[in-house]
Amino acid sequence: MKPAPFEYHRPDTVAEAVTVLAAHGDEAKPLAGGQSLVPMLALRLARFEHLVDVNFVDELVGIDRADGWLRIGAMTRQAAVERDAVVAADAPLLARATPLIGHFQIRNRGTIGGSLAHADPASEYPAVAVALGAEVEIAAAGGSRTVAAADFFLGTWTTALADGELLTAVRLPVWSGRCGFAIEEMARRLGDFALAGAAVAIRLNDADDGVAAAGIGLFGVGPTPVKARRAEAALVAGERHPAEIGRLAMADADPTDDVHATAGYRTRVGAHLVARAVERALAEARGGQR
Amino acid sequence: MSVAAGRFIGQSVKRKEDPRLVTGHGTYVDDVTLPGMLHAAFLRSDVARARITAIDTAAAKALDGVRAVLTAADLNGTVRGPMLPTLFADGAQGPSAPIKPLAGDDVRFVGDPIALVIADSRYVAEDACDLIEVDYEILDPIVDFETAAASAELVHPELGSNVGSTMATPPDESLDAAFAGAAHVVSETFHQHRHANVPMETRGIVAAFDRYTGDLRVWMSSQNPHEVRMCCARILGMPENKVRVTQSDVGGGFGQKYFMPRDEMVVVLAAHLLGRPIKWIEDRRENLLASNHARTDKADVSMAVDADGHFLAARIDHLEDSGAFPSGGTGGTGVFVALLFPGPYRVAKLGWSTTAVWTNTCGRGAYRGPWMFETVAREQLVDVVARQIGIDPLELRRRNVIARDELPYASPGGMVFDNVSPAETLEQAAALIGYDEFRSAQAAARAEGRHLGIGLGLYIEPQAGMGPLGVEAAGLRVEPSGTVDVFLGSGSHGQSLETTMAQIVAEHLGVHVDSVVVHQGDTDVAPFGGGTGGSRSGPFLSAAARQASLQIREKAILIAAHLLEAAPDDLDLADGVIAVAGSPTRSVTLADVAKTAYLGSDGLPPGMEPGLEVVTRYKAPMVTYSNACHACTCEVDIDTGRVTLLRYVVSEDCGSMINPMVVEGQIAGGVAQGIGGVLYEHMVYDDAGNPLTATFMDYLLPTAAEIPMIDYGHIETPGITPGSHKGMGEGGAIGAPPAVFNAVADALAPLGVKLTRQPLTPSALVAAIESAGASRSR
Repeated sequence: MKPAPFEYHRPDTVAEAVTVLAAHGDEAKPLAGGQSLVPMLALRLARFEHLVDVNFVDELVGIDRADGWLRIGAMTRQAAVERDAVVAADAPLLARATPLIGHFQIRNRGTIGGSLAHADPASEYPAVAVALGAEVEIAAAGGSRTVAAADFFLGTWTTALADGELLTAVRLPVWSGRCGFAIEEMARRLGDFALAGAAVAIRLNDADDGVAAAGIGLFGVGPTPVKARRAEAALVAGERHPAEIGRLAMADADPTDDVHATAGYRTRVGAHLVARAVERALAEARGGQR
Repeated sequence: MSVAAGRFIGQSVKRKEDPRLVTGHGTYVDDVTLPGMLHAAFLRSDVARARITAIDTAAAKALDGVRAVLTAADLNGTVRGPMLPTLFADGAQGPSAPIKPLAGDDVRFVGDPIALVIADSRYVAEDACDLIEVDYEILDPIVDFETAAASAELVHPELGSNVGSTMATPPDESLDAAFAGAAHVVSETFHQHRHANVPMETRGIVAAFDRYTGDLRVWMSSQNPHEVRMCCARILGMPENKVRVTQSDVGGGFGQKYFMPRDEMVVVLAAHLLGRPIKWIEDRRENLLASNHARTDKADVSMAVDADGHFLAARIDHLEDSGAFPSGGTGGTGVFVALLFPGPYRVAKLGWSTTAVWTNTCGRGAYRGPWMFETVAREQLVDVVARQIGIDPLELRRRNVIARDELPYASPGGMVFDNVSPAETLEQAAALIGYDEFRSAQAAARAEGRHLGIGLGLYIEPQAGMGPLGVEAAGLRVEPSGTVDVFLGSGSHGQSLETTMAQIVAEHLGVHVDSVVVHQGDTDVAPFGGGTGGSRSGPFLSAAARQASLQIREKAILIAAHLLEAAPDDLDLADGVIAVAGSPTRSVTLADVAKTAYLGSDGLPPGMEPGLEVVTRYKAPMVTYSNACHACTCEVDIDTGRVTLLRYVVSEDCGSMINPMVVEGQIAGGVAQGIGGVLYEHMVYDDAGNPLTATFMDYLLPTAAEIPMIDYGHIETPGITPGSHKGMGEGGAIGAPPAVFNAVADALAPLGVKLTRQPLTPSALVAAIESAGASRSR
């Protein structure tokens, strides 16, 4: 369990980082918190000729609110997200998802950008991103671009990031008004990747209890985080039966078997978790004005 | 019944080993560094069964920093004796799997070692492994142990069969009659899945052969340094006294390090061949896929029961998976599974069979309670009996458990249980967990749609004292300064022997525990010993240490009597001072006595041999028994299959406790392994024999978050060893699996859910609930 040889780069700025990444193309990989990449290197499941350590790029760290969006720098540690008052106030779903990631030692190193770029379909942050309608900011030597979370995740450990690109920040829309949020997951042990999970955001109309907007992100139930569009639409259209919303959500999912659970288990339990999360989010939204 | 605590025995003396271990300053084998030391890595088979048609090592040999790339062609011819444990080396114990250093012509499991790379660093060694090209002609593997015996394909063609061993009782008409005439016959088939031992410290070795002195020096993570020494001498054809083996701090073994494993032998052969010190530290992936695995059993079991719920006769037909190259013999534990199956119950008749088969999987090895499937199969069957005949499981056990006034009790398995307290531990566990109150709470919860369960696991645990397992040795030397050195034949790999054996010596010699230093695990220092395993150190090693202490005490008192001109019978030795009873001013210190013994021998009683040291050996009884009862409560979320353990209690009887804190610590560790085994741990192979759980992402160990607080009850029935101590190291892992399993089964029984297989994963439980038609729709 020793990694294959690689060359180590330590840029101080995004500009330097993307220059190195551009120079080495698919032979280079950014190193963020290392909580997934380093074990994969040690097991030789992943190999890169060049590792670009972005842990010393200060401009990648920070949490800011502007114009109805929360912007979180890619190298902001999960532990910082977990403790941040602005995140708790403006992105409660993200705040509540964070303690479910691994253990605190992992969150002390793990970063929000790393989680999104690693794109493990059973992890929490990608599902939260698609539920809330987040965007990721991407830098490259030739310029930067923004991609919607729903378009960013292409497959297991695969994203829209091209060779030479660096994920620099995630932008989360602040859901305001009568909102409720809930995340539910089933993991074998505390801190494990979820067998199935659901992150739910709901905004009610100001005038009545009709659903103005719904965001449902599923994890552990397919090769990517799943935006449960049918269930979201049904909620907005007035569907309230939790089991039916769970069923509709899982109709958008594509779970598979592995050593921890069957696809059938994931479908059944995923629907249950969606239903439970929707009930909780609705109850919170009804409870008052945010 | 209890045994009075002494000044040191029976006290929770803090562990002498902890200051260094908990601050990260222990010396494990990876901490050993020698001048000129090279590093080894194995290239292992990544297919389960294949012929090797070509191995090309040229690119690996050409890599900068590589010193040697050894294959079967280089190494296998250098072996001078059987690569088997000493116990089996003469072949008298039946057929052993044909172990060779490296796989040459074919591979027989994923992980089979094919080549050993020796390089300047482990990094380079692993880079070189990547450059070795092996051409395989893939063959159909035998993966399923239930069909292995009937397979036309053979794991070991040279042995002619996939059946390694099989034994059975002869036809017994009285047994058949007992079953035929019983009011109830309850039968079930239980499976226990494949586990891995997972010591915190993986295996590892540093081996150095000095061509000029002819000495082999070995540091190894081992439970049994003298066995390693014998084994090294045997495979190299060297005199045993030219081999020195050191086992320093060891981070657990649980049976995995009891014998000398094949990989370590390969490293020793390589070090001898090359004449350079070589270090090999097993990595976690290797430990999970190529150290020995454990469990993997199946049994068809039946119990004949009369109309009042009394057991009449039992039958077990047992099958075990030995893997390709089992460690420590094939099928050795199956007989104990069969003979111990009736357990702590009155069962008049027993019929059994046991069969061990080879498969193209990692070999089976000892794991904390190697034959514990007897307890799993019995205790789970008892609960099935209870459900089927409509008696509460606690009440059914009460009706059948062996009572104290029935001891000694001759079990139909040929064992004679005595000095045990299964009925008392059953009652203590039931009281500690609040059994009756729980039944009320369970009924109330059920009315609210919540599913709570309670499970029991009752067992008797033997400590084998036959053959090499029955002799333990201790050396004791009082130094001229009065400090005490103790030399143990068997060393600790986590059992706290450094502390508990010091307590024994302090108590029986009459010195403070702080003045005793325990030396262990070095064949040049320690007397010959049988290694630590089988829960034997508590009862047997303590007896040797006690014997040495009493011998030295007696001699010290004789010397003191001579110095004080007093009668030996009037003297007492306490806290390192020997004084005349009733007149404490007439005294000498143990240091004075020791100085006289070594440096002032003219002052000794006439004719007395100088010195104050001894090496003694204790011969244990053939077998001693301890016992315990585990009880566990749980809640099952039937929507997700999540099992939450609510409470866990253990009532145990290991006789006189040397150190209650250590006893409870040993139990806690075993319970955690048992809980892990039932709910989380599973070594999974696919149909092609590929291990699917070779990292901790997939082989799930329980963490502190998954283990409930454990409450303990102690009953101290004196044992038959001199200190009245009984073995208890394995028990936690024996009692926990059926207790947890029975609790989950109890929670789900009202839904018509039937469980017969571990592990009880959320996915398996939801599937069982679904197939019982008991899923809840929202």
